[in-house]
Amino acid sequence: MTVNNIFMKLPKDIILSKDKNKIKLIFNDQNQVLLDAELLRVKSPSAEVRGHGPDDAITVYGKKNVLISKLELVGNYAIRIFFDDNHSTGIYTWNYLDELYKNRDNIWNDYISELRLKKLNRE
Amino acid sequence: MSVTKELVLKKLSSVLTDESKDSSNIVEAGLVSEIVIANDRVFFAISTNKEDVDKFEIVRKKAEEVVKSISGVNVVRVSLTSHDKRPVDLNRNNQAKKVNNKQSVDGIKHIIAVASGKGGVGKSTTAVNLALSFRNLGLSVGILDADIYGPSVPKLLGIKGRPNPGAGKKIQPLTAYSITAMSMGFLVDEETPMIWRGPMVISAITQMLREVDWGDIDLLVVDMPPGTGDVQLTMAQNVPIIGSVIVSTPQDLALIDARKGISMFQKVNIPVLGIIENMSTFVCPKCGEVSHIFGKEGAMKEAKKSGVPYLGDIPLEMDIRIGSDLGKPIVEFNPGSVCSQSYNRIANDIWLKINSSEKLQIVPNIVYEE
Repeated sequence: MTVNNIFMKLPKDIILSKDKNKIKLIFNDQNQVLLDAELLRVKSPSAEVRGHGPDDAITVYGKKNVLISKLELVGNYAIRIFFDDNHSTGIYTWNYLDELYKNRDNIWNDYISELRLKKLNRE
Repeated sequence: MSVTKELVLKKLSSVLTDESKDSSNIVEAGLVSEIVIANDRVFFAISTNKEDVDKFEIVRKKAEEVVKSISGVNVVRVSLTSHDKRPVDLNRNNQAKKVNNKQSVDGIKHIIAVASGKGGVGKSTTAVNLALSFRNLGLSVGILDADIYGPSVPKLLGIKGRPNPGAGKKIQPLTAYSITAMSMGFLVDEETPMIWRGPMVISAITQMLREVDWGDIDLLVVDMPPGTGDVQLTMAQNVPIIGSVIVSTPQDLALIDARKGISMFQKVNIPVLGIIENMSTFVCPKCGEVSHIFGKEGAMKEAKKSGVPYLGDIPLEMDIRIGSDLGKPIVEFNPGSVCSQSYNRIANDIWLKINSSEKLQIVPNIVYEE
């Protein structure tokens, strides 16, 4: 790696939508991706959600209408997302955001089956 | 009836910043953040100074109360944020607003970290001499000794004395050889150990960086402690470091940890500007024979392997050690020596890299759509 070769998928802009329920990442090649607040919330990479190991992880539910109140930069590598349910401990690296976006269909389907299995719902 | 921002703001303008009669209301004072309304829920933040958080709890409750009294509002969430930055003026036009998201430090243009992974490889000595070389380039330079447990900068720069309180509750740093310096060593005796757990260290680091009146500084050199722990993570999360410099001796034992340092910086997206091989060779003062005490070209090979630039080497020389112990860095007192010239050349190289990476965007803009 040299100075001008930053290896993470660094977005140029991160936009919080007007209705606060999604963020838009814009990349240098003008590529744009959208991530829903609900997906971001239920897959928060925080110890609160993930626990300290797979057995500790919890299923977050009832976040269909969760909104994002604030975005904050963490150093050069991540953003911290503040949700309106007072969850704000998740630190989303550029790589994690990229991963979430690329695998969003699988992640979402798995999440929905997990909810069903545990008899929980999104509302 | 739907709840509007205007209505909420109107209600909030009845909330005063404190009890005194002539105080302004929180809307006028610009303390209310962006207000978010979603059906029957309203949320926003009130910003305050860190010191006033307790006092503002009353204001927060009051604000929550008045907004809740609006018909159609069911849930109100008001949070207190203690930030230096005030929220953007709400009366501005309706374009998407860019949030000032740089975590910059007042008065400081660029920050680099000098780190090693391993202790005892000459990181502080290198940091101090590089700082002097940067000064030789005509830059105004500061040095922050981030090693709370083993501060070396006071000794290396020959600084004795305590910093005074400066303007606006900030600490006035000390200076030596035109370098503005801050170190834990200024606050405690040389003999006194800091027996602290992580959280104390984190808050000390944050204060030493942000609550110091640095003045106008082109480049702040941070002398990092060894390892990849609390201090390193705090710096990586709270400070916009433009690049890092890794110092290592050529021996494997040191290189193993240098490698960890490199990969830590890569994980947190701080560019590694390069590796310096310290104590590279020993030239016998009697016979002139060159010995590779710690091995040959280890750091250079490591740089190649890790794909980071190699910045050069500094020989193991008695004068560096003597100068360091006397508080007379070699770059200052023997500017013609091979070592000093190496430091100067490396500093020049680093400064060029900083200038070329300055043009690159290393963090995204955060934009709130309106």
